[in-house]
Formats: sequence, C-alpha cells, structure tokens
Amino acid sequence: MASVELNEIRKAYGALEVIHGVSLSVEDGEFIALVGPSGCGKSTLLRMIAGLEEISDGEVLIGGTVVNALTPRERNIAMVFQSYALYPHMTVAQNMGFNLMLSGVAKPEIERRVNEAARMLALGDLLDRKPSQLSGGQRQRVAMGRAIVRDPAVFLFDEPLSNLDAKLRVQMRTEIKTLHQKVGTTSVYVTHDQIEAMTLADRIVVLNGGRIEQVGTPLELYRAPANLFVAGFIGSPAMNFLDAAVDGDEDQPAARLVDGTTIRLGPARKVKRGQEVKLGIRPEHLLAGAPGDTVVNGQTLVVEPTGAQTHVVFSLAGEQVTAIVDGGFPVRHGALFEAAIAAEQVHVFDRRSGLAL
Amino acid sequence: MTDTTTEVRMTAGTRVYLYVSLSLVAALVLVPLLTTALGGFKSLGDLRINPFGLPSGWIWSNYTDILFGERYWRQMTNSLFIAVMTVFLTVVVSAMAAFTFAHVKFFGSGQLMNYFLVGLMFPVATAILPLFIRIRDLGLLDSYWGVILPQVAFGLGMSILLFRNYFRNLPDELFQAAFVDGCGYIRFFWYVSLPLSRPIVATVSIVTFVNSWNSYILPLIMLNTETKYPWPLGIMVYRGEFGTEWQLVLAFITLTILPTVIVFFLAQKHIIAGLTAGAVKS
Amino acid sequence: MTDSIAMAVARPVASKVHVRYKSPTARGRLPVLVLFLPPALLLFTLFVILPMGEAAWYSLFRWNGYGPPTEFVGLRNFTVLFNNAAFSQALINNGLIIVVSLLLQIPLAIWLAMMLAHKIAGVVAFRLIFFLPYVLADVAAGLIWRFVYDGDYGLFAAIAGFFGVATPYVLADRDLAIYAVLAVVVWKYFGFHMMLFIAGLQAVDRSVLEAAEIDGATGWQKFRYVTLPLLGSTVRLSVFFAIIGSLQLFDLIMPLTGGGPSNATQTMVTFLYTYGVTRMQVGLGSAVGVVLFVICITLAFGYKRIFMRHD
Repeated sequence: MASVELNEIRKAYGALEVIHGVSLSVEDGEFIALVGPSGCGKSTLLRMIAGLEEISDGEVLIGGTVVNALTPRERNIAMVFQSYALYPHMTVAQNMGFNLMLSGVAKPEIERRVNEAARMLALGDLLDRKPSQLSGGQRQRVAMGRAIVRDPAVFLFDEPLSNLDAKLRVQMRTEIKTLHQKVGTTSVYVTHDQIEAMTLADRIVVLNGGRIEQVGTPLELYRAPANLFVAGFIGSPAMNFLDAAVDGDEDQPAARLVDGTTIRLGPARKVKRGQEVKLGIRPEHLLAGAPGDTVVNGQTLVVEPTGAQTHVVFSLAGEQVTAIVDGGFPVRHGALFEAAIAAEQVHVFDRRSGLAL
Repeated sequence: MTDTTTEVRMTAGTRVYLYVSLSLVAALVLVPLLTTALGGFKSLGDLRINPFGLPSGWIWSNYTDILFGERYWRQMTNSLFIAVMTVFLTVVVSAMAAFTFAHVKFFGSGQLMNYFLVGLMFPVATAILPLFIRIRDLGLLDSYWGVILPQVAFGLGMSILLFRNYFRNLPDELFQAAFVDGCGYIRFFWYVSLPLSRPIVATVSIVTFVNSWNSYILPLIMLNTETKYPWPLGIMVYRGEFGTEWQLVLAFITLTILPTVIVFFLAQKHIIAGLTAGAVKS
Repeated sequence: MTDSIAMAVARPVASKVHVRYKSPTARGRLPVLVLFLPPALLLFTLFVILPMGEAAWYSLFRWNGYGPPTEFVGLRNFTVLFNNAAFSQALINNGLIIVVSLLLQIPLAIWLAMMLAHKIAGVVAFRLIFFLPYVLADVAAGLIWRFVYDGDYGLFAAIAGFFGVATPYVLADRDLAIYAVLAVVVWKYFGFHMMLFIAGLQAVDRSVLEAAEIDGATGWQKFRYVTLPLLGSTVRLSVFFAIIGSLQLFDLIMPLTGGGPSNATQTMVTFLYTYGVTRMQVGLGSAVGVVLFVICITLAFGYKRIFMRHD
C-alpha cells in the first residue's frame, strides 16, 4: 500500500495540451474517484498514474518515489479495465495468476493466492473456465481478482462498471466497496457516473477540460460546490440554475429573478447589491406544500412519477425548473405548482467567473 | 426464414435446371481427374482404345511399382521437407515482424511496412535470374535452402500483412493489461499474441504450404540433382523418361496428387477458407 | 478556479527543476525491434528487393552470368526484346488470358456462385468439386490435360473417334494450342473465383433482395440491379487476381506445351525461362523481368487507384 501524489502533471500530444498541470495527493488506503464528462482527461490521468501513458511534464509519486520512468509492473500497480481485458485463451485461474507466474512465484504459492482471491470474490467454482464462458459480472470479478492477487501498492479502476447492465452495476458497486473495506488498498477510480463516485469514494476529484474543478468528500461536493460546473455535475436530477441580480440589504440578502420574483439568500453569502449572479437550487430542496423562506410558483409542465418520488418540471421566471416531491403528493399537468425554498439551500454563483459566493 | 421460403417457391423446373447445369460443370472438372486415375490401371493398348471406360483388366503393377519404388517416396519427402521448413520460417519470421508493426511504435514503421508490401506486387519469376546468381554465389545452389529461403522471402509480404492486420485487431486493453501484469513486448508476443492468433497462423500456414507444395519454378532453377527434386519437378522428369507410356505417367500423376486430394477433402473447410481469406484480406 | 486548484495541491509546487524522465512505454522497444525485425528484413532484402534491383542493372548488360558483367549494352536488350516475335506473342497471349478471364471465367464463376447460393442438397459437394482444381499443382493439372488433349491416347482422341472425325492434335497446332491452354486456365482457376463470389454473395443482405422483390423486380432484374452492383468490390478483386495470375502463368504452360509450338503459347515468364534461363542470357532475361515488373507495378497501382479506391 502506498500514497499517490501528482505534481503539476501535464499531458500534451504535440502542441495540443490535454492535461493542464494537475496536482493531487491521495493518502495511503484512500479511495479516490476521478469524475468528469467524457473528454475531461480522467482516463488519461489514470493511465499516466498506471504508466501506460507518457507524462509530458510533472511528476507522479507512488509511496514517495518518483515513478515517471517506471513501468506499470515496477510501479506495483494493478488495473481493472473497462473491457476487463481478460486473456481469452487462459482460464480464470491462469488469468489471475499470470502476473505471479511472470514474476517467477512458485506454483504452489500462486495457487494459494489465486484460491484466496477466488474465495474473496466467490469465483471458486469458475477457476477452470475460460472468460468466454463467464457472464459479464463474473468477468468483472475475475478482472478484480487479477488485480488483488498480486497485492499491489495501488488499485486503478478505469470505468470498470460501464459495460454492465444497471442492476448488476449496483451490485458490483457494493462488491467493490466491500472489497476495498476488506483489503484497504489505495484506489483510484475513474468514472463518468457521479452516483458511482459518490457512493464509492472517500474523496472525489471533479475534472473538466484537463483541470481539477474541485476535490472533496462526496458531501462537501454536494453541499458546497466550488463553482457552477461542480454544482451542475454532482447531484441527480441536476441542480436548477436561475439568472438573478442581488437585491435586499446586508443582513437579509436576496436575489431578484428576471420576472421580479425575489428569493431570500443565506446571510453567509458574500454578495454585493446589484451583483449579477446565478442561483442554484437542487430539486430536492424545492419543497412542495411546506413552509420556507421563499415560496415560488409556476405552471406545471411535466410530471414524471418514479414511484417513491415524482419529478415535477414547472416554469419559473421563464426557465424550466425541476422539483422532487413525494410520490403521493398531488400534482397535475397544467396546474399551478407551488414550492418553498430555505434561504440556506440557495447556492449563489458569480455569473461571470462561475465561482461560488 | 428466407431460406425456407426460397425452397418452397423453387419450381421443379428450376431444380432440374440447377442440377443439370451444376452436374455438367462438375463432370467437366471430374472427368479428366477420374480418367487419369483409371488410366493408371490400364495397359497402353487399353488406354488407346478406351480412355474413358473402366480398364478391361486392372493392372495394379502400374501403381504398386511406383509405391514400392524409392523415387515416389523420395520426392514426397523432399516436397514435405521444403514445405514444412518454408511454413515454419514464414510463420515465425513474419509473425515477429508483423508484431513490431502492429504494437511497437518506431520511427519509419509505416515506410518499412510499405517496403514489405512491395513484395506483394510482383511474382518470383520477375527476379529469377538475379536470384539464381545470388543463390549460386551464396553456395546454396542445388540445396533445399536455395529453394526454401527465396520462398520464405517472397511469402513475407502477404504473411506480414495478414499477421499485422490480425494483431492490430486484438483489443488494445489486452496489451495494457499484460503490460500492467509485467509483460514486456517479447513476453506479450509469446504469452498473449501468439496463443491468440491460431486462426491467422492457420491461414498463413495453409497458403504457404499449398504454394510451396505445388511450386515448380524455384526448384526447377535452383536444384539440379534429381534425388533432391520435389514432386512437381520429379513428375516432369518422370514424364520425360517414360514419354508416351501414358499409363505409367497417369499412375504417377494420380499418386502425386493423391495426398493433396485427400488432405483437401479432410480439411476442406479450413483450406478453402484459408486460401480465399488469404487472398481477400491481403 | 485558482481557489479550487489550491484545494487540490497537496504540497507546495516543487522546485522548477525539470527532469526529463524516460517514457516507460518506450522502454523495451529496442530489444524487440532488434530481435524481431532483422530476420524478415534480411531475407526480404536479400532475396526480393536486391534481386529486383539487380535485374534492372543486369538488363543493361550482355552477360552469361559468369564473372562480373562487363559488356554494357545500354537498352539494347530491350530493343531486342520488343523486336522479338516470340516476346510479342507472349505479350499477346498474356493479354488474351486476361480477356478470357474477364469474359468467360468471371461470368462463369458468378453464374455458379449464384446457383450454389440456393439451399439445395449437394451444394457443399459441388463447391468442393469446383474448388478442387485450384488446390492441385499447376504442373499436375498441365500433365493431366496434356493427356486429355493427347491425339493418340487421350480423351480428345476418343471423342474424335466417336464422332468419326480426324483426331486433332490440339497442342501441336499453332492456331489451336493457345485456346487449349486457355481452356485449362479456366478449368484450373474458375473455382477460386467462384469461392470469392460465394463469399461476396454471403455478405449481401437478404432483406435488400426481398425489398427489390416487393418493388416488383424479376429474377434477372434483381440480379442486374441489386446483386451485381453489390458484388462490385468482389468483381474488382476477382479481376485483379485474374490479371496478376495471368502475368505469372508458367507452371501450367510447361507441361502442356512448353511455350510451343513455334512459340505460339509463350507467356512472359515462359519466354523468360526459355530465352533467359536455359540459354543463360542474364541480360535479356533480366530485361524481361524488368518489363514484367513494370507491368505488375503499373497495373497494381493503377488498378487499385482507379477501381479499388473505395474498397
């Protein structure tokens, strides 16, 4: 086990720079998720940590040693690939033991460690099968087994669940979490799915356009997004954004929407009167039929029941705003929808810089 | 579904037309082959009067004399040795080269690949005289290697192309997984690429083997001791020796093509696929 | 933005001393290149490229192959070549083989492939039979047909006898010999082209044909307007192989006629063998090689550029 440090990492293909100086420190035993939209550079970053991609500038340290010039094997990392990349011609046992065989570990020892990993992942009955005879979830487990057999310093996951169907994905997510709690190896996990990141990670790194937008625990990112990008990326359904101008006085700040509606803001927001801002309100913070600091209303445009909850899209200040209400709450398409917002729950961002205020 | 409907709709007339046409063409193919095989059982006089029919008396000695003689087996062994060595060297050498083209980035890789592709463009005959002089100067004239090495060299263009395309289509992540597992290029080649390329090894082997087994011009020019002749050369010598004793020549031809025919019917699927795929993919 | 980066930075930005690290992915490239490339490179250069270059060089000399080539004759070998009746005949014959391939062999192959596309009993057996001549050695096929054409013992003699006409000695007849050879070429190679078309037909989407049927196309119209255009790339491939095959035709001719009678069935390669190799006229033979090479390269590049650029 080891810590991982990235120091001003850059990646350029010719003149085109895709990673613009990323620095990050992952503690020993920590589970870190790299999230971001496709093309944000998260996979490239992971592959640079793995040693599969050349590092154009900056340093990667694993366990305190600079590993830029080391091969993946010398870095002692293990990786789970998106397509699993199991060797089709080898059995499950051979797949898992391949690394140990290459390092010249004695046969009985390989067998012992493969069996141990197989037991941990419930693969015991499948050891003699070929990958083509396995289901998607089983392949996924073999890929993880291959990684844990060697007891690496760092686990790297490259969107490992994206080839599974929704139900299996949830199940494997739990298994990965259990596994990490059991073996406690430092892990870096790349995904585009923010729910996966939220549920699995100790800390999340949000990447966008080759830069880090924010690093923090899942709840930090949810409660205090540093900017518009993070605010919009974390949370589902996504946060609603409304253009507004700051109004009201110092101890009771408020913002006026384009249609004149005033929304009360928390006193801690550092806003100036007249400042052009964007308000961010999470759907789950728009409370229907409850008291709040501000009450807004608009015509109901779409009603989407999901069972326990119903998503309601209604019109507010010319924008479409989503709210979540209890599944039993009566809403009707076309009717007036009324919701209350607590001042503390309104996020405020500077409209020009996008930074949280 | 579509297949059954065509079956149902096919009229008796169509059916007759199909079978008659196909049988006619099949007869054109088979009659020369069958009369050749039967002709080997006839006497020369019988052959003259009755080339099509069954022999009036089956003369087995035409065949047995050849089978119990040394000549036939020696030629078969020569051909087999040359073909096996050619296949082995072609597969090994071209797989290794193709691997570097598919997986190792290096300066001039594309140009070097094109260099090999030039070999696809022209037949051995084009350079046969300088090739003869080179083999002579290397002291390889009248040796098996004088045939094997040029055969391997001329087969490289296509074999490298086939192997490279196959290697390239192996998933990239497999290579990365192996890299993470601690494979360098060479171990990856040995433990992953080669075991996974059995289909393409089969294709290259079949094409190379058939070409070598049937090849005539190279041995004709490079070999001049009859004991070293592969069968296509031997059969021509035999025919030269026995001139118009066609029954013997026919028996000899039959026996020499027999291995090809047997192997072809046993492994027809692989051979047809190999020979057509080899052509189409390159 | 700067705030958020500051949150991410774990330790103060390291001193700006730039160390160039060697890329881990680049390591190990050298050994594999040094081990894996040279065998192929050496064999190929030694036995393919150099001989081709030497052919160009030798073609400028009159030389019997012994000692160094000294008698420089410039392009005289080429003038001799193009004034040689046998060589002209060889060029004509090579052209004729191509024409026959195009007009006879490929239509035959398509016709057979279409018939074998039906799901009827015995399809596999017919395919096998038709492909069989292709796997036989040219030499063996040539000898078999030499017997077939033989005027005294062969099948032609018997057929002529049956009809009560004088036995034709086709291979000895200056006018007929080339057609006899052409027939054997078709016999030997149609199965290969048929296989190409069967593969091509399998790639044609059946629902397209059904759509044509619903549009009211008859059997012939379906073939003419749907199947044939969709087989375009296979046709071009087949033509390509026919051309290349014709240019290297040698093994089949030798047992049949050896290029005779009176050079009536020479091809470029048999000409090269007869006049260059057996008489050890290295200069002249190399000149034939160069002509062949130029034709091959021109055709290969030209054909690919013009007809196969979309394939």
